[in-house]
Amino acid sequence: MTALGDILHLLFTANLWQAALAAAVLLLLPALGGVISERSGVVNIAMEGMMLTGAFFAVVANLAWHNVWLATGVAMLSGALMASIHAIVSIRFRADQIVSGIAINIFAAGLTVFLVNRIYGVQDIGHVGQSELLPNINVPGLDQIPFFGKVLFQQNVIVYVALILLVLMHLLLFRTRLGLRIRSVGEHPQAADTAGINVYAIRYGAVITSGLLSGLAGAFLAIGVSNTFVPNMTDGRGYIALAAMIFGKWTPFGAFVACLIFGLGQAIYDNNSIIHVSPYLLSMLPYLLTLVVLAGLVGRSTPPAADGLPYVAGSE
Amino acid sequence: MGHKHLKFLGVVAAAMVFSLACGGSSGGGGGTPAKTYKIGLVTDIGGLNDKSFNHLAYVGLQKAITDFKIKGDVVESKSGDDYVPNLTNFASKGYDLVIGVGFLMQTAVGTVSGQFPNVHFAIIDGAGTDANGNDLKHANVESLFFKEQDAGAMVGVIAGWLEKNGQAKKNKGVISAVGGVSIPPVNHYIAGYKWAAAMEDPGIKVLVGYSNDFTDPAKCKGVAQSQISQNSDILFQVAGGCGLGVLQAAGQASLYSIGVDADQKDADPSVIASALKKVDVATYTAIKLVVNGQFTGGAQTFSIANGGAGYSPDNLNVPSALQTELDKVEGEIKNGTLTPPADIPA
Repeated sequence: MTALGDILHLLFTANLWQAALAAAVLLLLPALGGVISERSGVVNIAMEGMMLTGAFFAVVANLAWHNVWLATGVAMLSGALMASIHAIVSIRFRADQIVSGIAINIFAAGLTVFLVNRIYGVQDIGHVGQSELLPNINVPGLDQIPFFGKVLFQQNVIVYVALILLVLMHLLLFRTRLGLRIRSVGEHPQAADTAGINVYAIRYGAVITSGLLSGLAGAFLAIGVSNTFVPNMTDGRGYIALAAMIFGKWTPFGAFVACLIFGLGQAIYDNNSIIHVSPYLLSMLPYLLTLVVLAGLVGRSTPPAADGLPYVAGSE
Repeated sequence: MGHKHLKFLGVVAAAMVFSLACGGSSGGGGGTPAKTYKIGLVTDIGGLNDKSFNHLAYVGLQKAITDFKIKGDVVESKSGDDYVPNLTNFASKGYDLVIGVGFLMQTAVGTVSGQFPNVHFAIIDGAGTDANGNDLKHANVESLFFKEQDAGAMVGVIAGWLEKNGQAKKNKGVISAVGGVSIPPVNHYIAGYKWAAAMEDPGIKVLVGYSNDFTDPAKCKGVAQSQISQNSDILFQVAGGCGLGVLQAAGQASLYSIGVDADQKDADPSVIASALKKVDVATYTAIKLVVNGQFTGGAQTFSIANGGAGYSPDNLNVPSALQTELDKVEGEIKNGTLTPPADIPA
């Protein structure tokens, strides 16, 4: 089959893996947010909405102040604000966390379109200039390594940041006292509370961290990969990230592998102008690949025991 | 459920829409003592900021408001479920013409136009159909279609000519197009583009890819970058907001790109031309027919011949030889000597 031959040929090109890693990072950031939030016991399906909000405010701030780092900060903050709504609703008011998450996603989609209309009327939102985007950085020396140099060391600055955050998140959750506390709050909040851990503070912190990470992903999407905001531009990435988190068994590296497989599928799909098969068929590939590989290899995936259960101090 | 119930539900739905629609933007009305025509515009889910046909329909409405002293109102649809109530809202309140924007509203226009036979309807890119897509041919519906292949052919001439004469960037004889989804309005553009490029430069290779998306620039950018790695020199986007990623990818690689629907020269410095689908002209024309009492219903097709399709040269100083060629091809399409195909040539 020529299509299979085309794909096999692609798998040996550095271009493909470079694109796959960048696509994976767009999913990895919200997935890491999901991991820390759910490890602390708060189900979070609102990454999509937080990411979209971040994408919008990244563009608005960058167009207003012409400072990409400030814009990235604003994007993270806006994601965190959305997350704090989810946190207050589900921790303080103990509402259903799925419902709250869906509400955030719908709210973000409506809010961004509404604000686009209010701020820019029906005019073009505008485009961020090339020099004001999150920069691509080639790591001197390392970027010259054949094949791997291009894949790993000729990437956007956010790709490096995300990979560092991946390692940090792993160390935080599994090598530090704070990480132990986060996990214990997600597994058995009553016991953690008895041991003197502030369950609410940990959960607020974890959910807001997920907002910061999703907002960063939004900034990467809007002012790193793209240079403008388009309504609904996140295109379901928050949900894919959610799936990656589950496939990854609520661990940072597990989620990363899932994101990478999905990113690889997306990167292969992007080559549909030269792969001799229907683009419709090929568009299934990212999803199909993720399903087959992960369903085949991962097996049963169990969430933290207290995931989704609001904690009432003093309850049994 | 009887007709009375349905009618009651319709009234309730219309009332709800009215109460919800107050935030919609509205244009100023005229103050002439003669009849002031009322025009209602219903966007599809793309909304007014789509930089494409919803936006252009709005531009056409604004021009008509200025020229004809009419009253124009707009309501944006947030989901496919809004189409029928939004159209019904305008129709039930005595609007003279209700315009639905986009192929996606075909069934809704078919339904509502049947319920209000005395109200004029117009629909961009479609007809008033039943649920199976069959044209109901209601006499009060005007269908506004476009020959996107005409516009595609003009930008195809530019791409093919530049490539043949070594005036593009890489000049390796490869150009490309990124479509959103493989549907007729998208493929018409690509068909004209590929056909005309091959006419200018018979040896040219035209890559055609799809992003499977209309809203996410990152997806289109990925497809564009793959084409660039295959030596594509000039990239034509036919994917709405998603396609902005194509223009950006071309700019980052110091190549040329071509915009779609509206003039996209401001989207990226790499945009050398845009293929135009003049939804504003179509909207304006439909309003003019109603104001002049010449509305007849049926289908109208907008093409290069009647000024409803075309191209704009953007961030490129067009060489005079190319301009001569463009004028020649445009003339021949107008007089029927050349007919760009609607299906993508092999």
